[in-house]
Amino acid sequence: MEEKRRFARLKEMWSRLSQNKLAVFGLIVIVLLVIVAIFAPIIAPYGYDEQNLQNAFQSPGNGFLFGTDEFGRDIFSRVVYGTRISLLIGFVAVAIAVVVGVLLGAISGYYGDKVDNVIMRLMDIVLSIPQILLAIAIVAALGNGLFNLMIAVGISSIPQYARIIRASVLSIKDQEFIEAAKAAGSSDFRIIFKHIIPNCLAPIIVQATLGVALAILTAAGLSFIGLGISPPTPEWGSMLSSGRSYIRDYSYMTLFPGLAIVLTIFALNVLGDGLRDALDPKLKK
Amino acid sequence: MNKKKLLALALSTVMAVTMLAGCGGSGSSEDSTGAAAEGSGSGQDTLTVAMSSDATSLDPVAVNNVYSSNIMQQMYSTLVNLDEDGNVVPNLAESYEVSDDGLTYTFKLKQGVKFHNGDEMKASDVVFSLKRAQAAAAVSHIFGDIDPDSFETPDDYTVTFKTNVANTGFIFGLAHTGGGIVSEKVVTEAGDNYTNEPIGTGPFKFVSWSKNDTIELERFDDYFGEAPVLKTMTFKIITEATNRAIELESGGVDMAFDISTNDISRVEENSELQLVRMVDNQTTFFAFNCEKEPFNDQRVRQAIAYAIDTTGVVDAVWRGVGQAAVGPIAPNVKYFDDSLTAHEYNVEKAKELLAEAGYENGFTFTISTNERQERIDMATIIQSQLKEVGITAEIEVLEWGALLEKAGNREQDVMMAGWTCQTPDPDMAVYAPFHSQKNGQVGNNYANFGSETVDALLEQGRTTVDSDEREQIYHDIQAAINEECPWVYLNNGEVVVGAKANLTGFTPTPYGYHSLYNISFK
Amino acid sequence: MLKYVARRILMLIPVLLGVTFIVFSLMYITPGDPAKLVLGDTATEEALEEYREEQGLNDPFLVRYGNYMKNLLLHGDIGTSYATKKPVIQEISECFPATVRLALSAMLVAVVLGIPIGIISAVRQYSIFDMVSMGFALIGISMPVFWLGLLLILFFSVQLKILPSSGYDTFAHMILPAIALGAQSVAVITRMTRSSMLEVINKDYIRTARAKGQKELSVIIKHALGNALIPIITSVGLQFGGLLGGAVLTESIFSIPGIGRLMVDSIKMRDYPVVQGGVLIIAIAFCFVNLFVDLLYAFVDPRIKAQYK
Repeated sequence: MEEKRRFARLKEMWSRLSQNKLAVFGLIVIVLLVIVAIFAPIIAPYGYDEQNLQNAFQSPGNGFLFGTDEFGRDIFSRVVYGTRISLLIGFVAVAIAVVVGVLLGAISGYYGDKVDNVIMRLMDIVLSIPQILLAIAIVAALGNGLFNLMIAVGISSIPQYARIIRASVLSIKDQEFIEAAKAAGSSDFRIIFKHIIPNCLAPIIVQATLGVALAILTAAGLSFIGLGISPPTPEWGSMLSSGRSYIRDYSYMTLFPGLAIVLTIFALNVLGDGLRDALDPKLKK
Repeated sequence: MNKKKLLALALSTVMAVTMLAGCGGSGSSEDSTGAAAEGSGSGQDTLTVAMSSDATSLDPVAVNNVYSSNIMQQMYSTLVNLDEDGNVVPNLAESYEVSDDGLTYTFKLKQGVKFHNGDEMKASDVVFSLKRAQAAAAVSHIFGDIDPDSFETPDDYTVTFKTNVANTGFIFGLAHTGGGIVSEKVVTEAGDNYTNEPIGTGPFKFVSWSKNDTIELERFDDYFGEAPVLKTMTFKIITEATNRAIELESGGVDMAFDISTNDISRVEENSELQLVRMVDNQTTFFAFNCEKEPFNDQRVRQAIAYAIDTTGVVDAVWRGVGQAAVGPIAPNVKYFDDSLTAHEYNVEKAKELLAEAGYENGFTFTISTNERQERIDMATIIQSQLKEVGITAEIEVLEWGALLEKAGNREQDVMMAGWTCQTPDPDMAVYAPFHSQKNGQVGNNYANFGSETVDALLEQGRTTVDSDEREQIYHDIQAAINEECPWVYLNNGEVVVGAKANLTGFTPTPYGYHSLYNISFK
Repeated sequence: MLKYVARRILMLIPVLLGVTFIVFSLMYITPGDPAKLVLGDTATEEALEEYREEQGLNDPFLVRYGNYMKNLLLHGDIGTSYATKKPVIQEISECFPATVRLALSAMLVAVVLGIPIGIISAVRQYSIFDMVSMGFALIGISMPVFWLGLLLILFFSVQLKILPSSGYDTFAHMILPAIALGAQSVAVITRMTRSSMLEVINKDYIRTARAKGQKELSVIIKHALGNALIPIITSVGLQFGGLLGGAVLTESIFSIPGIGRLMVDSIKMRDYPVVQGGVLIIAIAFCFVNLFVDLLYAFVDPRIKAQYK
């Protein structure tokens, strides 16, 4: 019964999403980016760390689609490989935040009372520290590196998910199918995982879509501050940040990684907005 | 319709706008003091300087960084100064004498020197200032050898003291801003508040300091030396290199420190601007951790040196700024051996040496450096060059604090950073980074290099008075260090300052901080 | 009402205690020796050791935290900067005005652009208008702020030479930073305006107003926007609160001496007292902004006021 209802709801959501052209555009872009990330070694004509100092600062064209950087590396190849790194950062950071946030939020909402109070105060604490500062402090503590960066960005966005899921739990925990499961003797653990979390997924999906965008931007910001990923890893943010000193002479060095970020963030945002519209029946005309 | 709601919206908008407008109105007079407003006439007596980072303290002994020193250099005078060739010349001192054993220093002070508050500077102030410097942690490497119990003041204008050990390089250190003379009375009375109202005997006095924004100074009319032409000096903190150049071009500042490689040609080609350059005393090093495998094997260190094309790396990253370093002593430091050349780049030799050492299949190690872009760039190219000889280098970019911590624990494989000789004397260039007793845990020998020969030479060089003999010692030191190869020298930095074309009277120093008080506009 | 405010302020205490504890712990595990960073790596080992002893850096974690809390709670003292030896409170108060000015200007840009775009977008849902205006709003949030900032400088300061690139003294100085930072918030405000407008736009009283023959513009502005205002105010408030500590990139690009830069410099210098004090003050400011927003609700909507007993 429940499965079927969920499926029907997903279908309805899809049909509403497909009306929104901007959101569909976003979805297509994201799918393409994922394909680029997977097939990066096939698409990229050069390795991301292949240097040729004689070929430094080549303008776009002349065998280098996006030109070359200060080490003579092919910017196009680096942007292509960068898709992997940037998407990885976005998705893993958000996955960390979602897993921890959903768990905390569900426990908080389901048990209520003291547990709720403790968890939510903890979330308030984390929320009252600006996200970028918290991420900076965490990276400083753990050290630079891809994994630490994802942890830092992930931890600093946990509260958003915890709050959303808690609100959803509160709104459904007294509904009959939960009561029924309780009466049938299901354990709390089972109820939370089998019944509650699947029913709160919609707002989480929306938030996570926007969260991936935010995570990629935060990672770029950390690169700017000097807390990014070690070279020669081609993360878009670090390409942008190290290319900025050349911006007046060789602006293409920042243009392409910059456009890659803009395109990705834009696509994630319109997709997220479309999903939100599609999920919220109140916003329907 | 709810009128209150609209009212709330309107109110908050109005509030925001008024606050903005208010802020605009309260803007300081800075723009009108800028050169742009004054036109290019010769009457300009204000100087605005863009600096890349704020000062930390204006108390001479509290810190040792070039940003603070750049401000203090204008505010404080020292007993002696260094002239353009790096010779010691008297300043607050009328004259000075060093005893034959190199231990006792006697200074005759100028009379009638005034502090910015009008008090006369006396021998007691000098004693007070130097005792403070001796005890202060930040400048202890320069003044720590003073024996604090040895001070004597036969009269108000004579000071004598002894040092614990003879060190020919000591007298140069007295010209460092850490030796700036402060007023005993003012410092004692102000206590912790001193850095808010610092007072010296220098040509400019402190007016205001707005954190991370501006520092303003004003001419001190009772200055004992030649009166400056400038009336006010404003330091603006602009962290982004691109913006410093843009401000210079747009006339927002008269002078900008640390012009980046990318902006050099733009400044040079601009007829309204000039570029002042000087190779400085910083050497960027690639320091092996000599007590860790495989870098405890001299052959491995030499092999890596052969595998790195230093000149190529430096050319690619610095594109004409500074130069490839050829030894542990920078070219503007005394006794630099000018017969040295950059080490040989020879991949075959590198492979041979590696094979000899038993690493014909290469190995993997980590280069630890900090977040300075040029260092990261150099490491990136080195990484790619080492691949040619089968060595895999990983790059670890750490914040300065974390890098120092790692080096302090002697955990690193290779550390890439810079060492600056803050005096013209070579002792500071080589003693701390290569003496075995200064290993990474307690000092600056981040290579954890230890050689009895070099230790002995370093100690000898320190106590020998300037002479051909001393020159030979330092040449021997350079040769010995080059042979044992604890460092691969990368580059010597360069002071690159951009300024208005009609600005004159500025001579840079290789120490990173400069006297600006003789500047005027044509 | 007063009772409500008092309770909210009391509830701040555990949050602030938590903030100090988290920041203290983070700084404790961060590698790096404040003594070496403040005094320079050339300082002698004895001098460094003396400094560590003097600043209590050799004490165990709990002793250090205890001392910090004792000074904070008993004397209201948040310490002295390691680097500058100035009281932390002085350091922060020197940097806060620039940040507040920047955040206010950015919010002004965001509100002026975001609310009208949101309204248009809601009134014409799924139209080409909706798409174009939402797309425009989203461009801002899609660009890394430091890149956007640099591009603005290159265009307005270098090419057109009409606006200064750094500093914050005059109105002209604030324009570029306000646009760069505000662009990040435009999308959020647009989104909130659009969705809360969509919620009210099909309500009965809007239909009634239309049926009465009122002009469309007046229906939208007076009736719909008025009723959609609360969530918009909330999101403006939240954004503003976030900007108080989170504008470090904009501050760096435009050389604005704000609190964000102070925080990052202090984290890099391991200037623990300034980091702790700064985060504490930012958190307090953030909480008070939220409280203020909640109170504004009550002012705007009497139904909510009734709940604040």
